[in-house]
Amino acid sequence: MNTKIKKKLIPYILLLPSLSIIVLLFLGGLIIALTQSLGYFPLIGLNNISLEYFRGIFNDEQFISSLGYTLYISVVSSTLSVIIGVLLAYQLLKLPKENKFISTIYKLPIIVPHAVGSLIIFIIFTQSGSLSRIFYSFGFIEDISSFPRMVFDPWGIGIILVYLWKQIPFVALMVYTILRGINSSWEGAALNLGANKRQIFWNIYLPLSMPTILSSFIIIFAFSFGAFEIPFLLGPTNPRTLPVLAYHRYTSLNIQQRPYAMAILITIAVISTFLIILYKKVVDLSRI
Amino acid sequence: MDLINTIRYTIVYTIVALLILPLIILLMWSFSGSWPWPHLLPIEFTLDSWAYFFNPISGTGRALLTSLIIAIAVTVISIGVSIPASKALALYSFWGKDMIKLLLLAPIIVPPLAATMGIHMNFIKYGLSGQIIGVILVHLIPSLPYSIMILNHTFEGVGNKIEEQAAVLGANWWQTFVYITLPLIKRGIFSASIMVFIISFSQYFLTFLIGGGRVVTFTMLLFPLVERGNRSLAAVYSIVFIISILIFIVILESILKKDKIFKAGI
Repeated sequence: MNTKIKKKLIPYILLLPSLSIIVLLFLGGLIIALTQSLGYFPLIGLNNISLEYFRGIFNDEQFISSLGYTLYISVVSSTLSVIIGVLLAYQLLKLPKENKFISTIYKLPIIVPHAVGSLIIFIIFTQSGSLSRIFYSFGFIEDISSFPRMVFDPWGIGIILVYLWKQIPFVALMVYTILRGINSSWEGAALNLGANKRQIFWNIYLPLSMPTILSSFIIIFAFSFGAFEIPFLLGPTNPRTLPVLAYHRYTSLNIQQRPYAMAILITIAVISTFLIILYKKVVDLSRI
Repeated sequence: MDLINTIRYTIVYTIVALLILPLIILLMWSFSGSWPWPHLLPIEFTLDSWAYFFNPISGTGRALLTSLIIAIAVTVISIGVSIPASKALALYSFWGKDMIKLLLLAPIIVPPLAATMGIHMNFIKYGLSGQIIGVILVHLIPSLPYSIMILNHTFEGVGNKIEEQAAVLGANWWQTFVYITLPLIKRGIFSASIMVFIISFSQYFLTFLIGGGRVVTFTMLLFPLVERGNRSLAAVYSIVFIISILIFIVILESILKKDKIFKAGI
């Protein structure tokens, strides 16, 4: 009996250190943020729980345009990253000879920090950047100001480009690993039965790698939705992305702004949580 | 057939070139003295930015060391607590498993920003703010889920058949762990360590918030340079950054290859 209980306890003991860290720091932090967003913040004299701050931000035009801007950047950058990443992974797989150099070097942007990625995109795409110089030498533009603004711009082109640069290799790496593990005899069987290359891609490789493609989409989408560094460095002052907006409210000299900052952060967390649920549903469905 | 291959090579080379060329431009900026618009190449090359970097006054050595201490501590703690946790998740069935797994992996999807701003006040209260230990703790939030995810996959692939055999043959748990488990999961440890090291080493926002400007990591020096658009100096810092990470990967790989314990498993 005693050893049986002991055996049952083993997995919990093994999990205890990790769980304590995540519960104390992550869950604890989230709960504090939630209570403050609901207006419970005794330190600054707020004791009444209400939805006042959520009502406040959802009636705030700046917040609404930030929400739209953040969603737009995440949707565009994640969708393009996944499409180009899958294309790269599939073409890498189908190269007649495996090219060790190419299949190693494409991963380099993954290890490059976001601040460095931002610098690179700035150097190339700013109005005095490399691309503008190339355009000038070809005679496409006549002076520096006729080059379109591509960083600090309201369309978020600079921000999206950094995400693309970092995330295309990430998606390619995840998908390539899965594609390589797919049994190639299925492809042979399909060829024997008269399938063409396109049918093989759409009916064999794509469905089998779908769970990985979807999970990499969710990971990069959630990351770009909650990331601070890149939009802070390359984004315009208006509109700001949600994390940058929350940061400005949080560091505001007026401490009464804090609950609003927390309400913005909780909104980000809720949208991301919704993504997890969606993700679980999608992955479960694709396993059937 | 040849046409298809030509198209394939074109696609692959174009994408890879677009990914890698920017790094070469970065390298040129680090050596440029004067490079005004619309010149395609620098009109003057200089080592000034590199000299500033290596000048002790710039404080870069100290910052690099601080970053390394933090990143290595985060890596060791993350891997240390992830190995048992991932083993439990992969090889045991128990009550509440799905919930626990979801909670442990949640920071991958739910941005750590909210949690960090939430605990910020408590960190100040308990004296963790502005301290290296506080920064290490807060870096664990984004790092730990990734090492658990990677090691969980590893344990799922490895199973526990061989460990059970060792136990049957009379090995105690410590012997089993050192001679059987560790060698079996070393690829996972390698990938997870790289991932965690990079997450911690590149972290800006969490360090800035919890470190309160008193924990000066390498990113703390780099970020303002990028912000001000100081291209040559920022390029130097960026290149050192990338090289540091590559060196870490190479060292880790050689440790995992040479270590006697790991050799036992080959």
